[in-house]
Amino acid sequence: MKDYAEPLARLIEELKQLPGIGQKSAQRIAFHLERAPREDVERLARSLLDAKDKIRLCSLCNNFTDTDPCRFCADSSRDHQLVCVVETPYNVVTVEKTREFHGVYHVLHGALAPLQGIGPEQLKLQNLMERVKRGEVRELIIATSPTVEGEATAVYLSKLFKPLGLRVTRIAMGLPVGSEIEFADEVTMSKALEGRREM
Amino acid sequence: MPVVETEAVVLRTHRLGETDKIASLLTRSLGRCRVAASGAQRTRSRFGSALEPLSYIRAWVFERENRDLQRLNSAEVIESFFSIQRDYRIQVATQYLAEVTESFLPEREVNERAFRLLLAVLRALKSSGEVTRPLLYFNYWMLRLGGFLPHLNQCGRCGTSLGEAGAFYGQGSDGLYCAECRRPATPVEISRQARAMGETLRGSRLEDWLRRQEAPAGAKQLRLFLEEVIQTHLERKLVTRALLAEEI
Repeated sequence: MKDYAEPLARLIEELKQLPGIGQKSAQRIAFHLERAPREDVERLARSLLDAKDKIRLCSLCNNFTDTDPCRFCADSSRDHQLVCVVETPYNVVTVEKTREFHGVYHVLHGALAPLQGIGPEQLKLQNLMERVKRGEVRELIIATSPTVEGEATAVYLSKLFKPLGLRVTRIAMGLPVGSEIEFADEVTMSKALEGRREM
Repeated sequence: MPVVETEAVVLRTHRLGETDKIASLLTRSLGRCRVAASGAQRTRSRFGSALEPLSYIRAWVFERENRDLQRLNSAEVIESFFSIQRDYRIQVATQYLAEVTESFLPEREVNERAFRLLLAVLRALKSSGEVTRPLLYFNYWMLRLGGFLPHLNQCGRCGTSLGEAGAFYGQGSDGLYCAECRRPATPVEISRQARAMGETLRGSRLEDWLRRQEAPAGAKQLRLFLEEVIQTHLERKLVTRALLAEEI
């Protein structure tokens, strides 16, 4: 005999496919939805379908958007010659939170990761190359993660775009704010020293 | 639940939930094992860069018997291979090493020689910046240590000495075939010079071999053949192999 009624078991199975959701969390969410008023569940289902139907990639920067071009690319008050290259759409949100950056973005949707079969071909670079070739870009700020994959991607991009006469910069790497130097490891510390600036 | 202190090389990591990571390690005293590192995704993680791929670390592991997943208490970097992997060609090579090591070695089986081999090849990549010879050395010795190294001077089917004649292999081969025994599925020829390199590899230390000028002719041929043998024994395609072929 099955543990749950068939529709409930199916819902739990579907929820388990989501990232970070295991059996227990899936059960908890499924039971919550079962107990919730019908209109709440309908609203959730509608917003899921809405997001799926309306969200696409911006043709200029590959960010998730419901309008093309996205709100960053369409904003004339931004510096369109300054492009910040990030790995994922949620990295855009992280940079935006600083309120320090007034350029536009380019989302690669990944980083070079040979173990996952991700090589240069898999990165979304074509529309960035087109923008560069049209002479629309003055500087690329490479804001990939400070990991092996992010670093390799940054070096690859710099080799690709620097010969085209662009200024290519990399976000600083080193000690996070609020940490103590004594706990820094050799790689972090050497990156911090490498990226030191004059005061 | 004793804490075991061991040296290890990080083979790969996966994200686990919002802040944790699972790391696959080749350790000196526990063999290959998987550990959960809580909070490792955080910016101010106590693991710092220790869990970056191919880092040589000192790890403190909570060992729980009969569990597939151990818990990583803390880790510190002994030697980092972060900077060399900025070069995509080297990154592909190092991740090939990680993929083969992870697939080839059984879990929880201590293998000191494989550990030293991996470390020596990583150091060779770091010091020489060359890829072909360190990878050839790795392929040769990984197969030899595993007992899968085929005869390089003898036909795998009829046993005839290959001598000066050409030898052949193809997709799915686990040995070399003479001209008589070759099939349409074994179209790749490997020169005598490449096969003779096996002798050199058996008798040389990696650093001595690298001291000679550039990679000798035939090194790539032999490397590709040994890659095929590794893949045949693993019975699955290596993800990094296709990228390796594009780059090197």
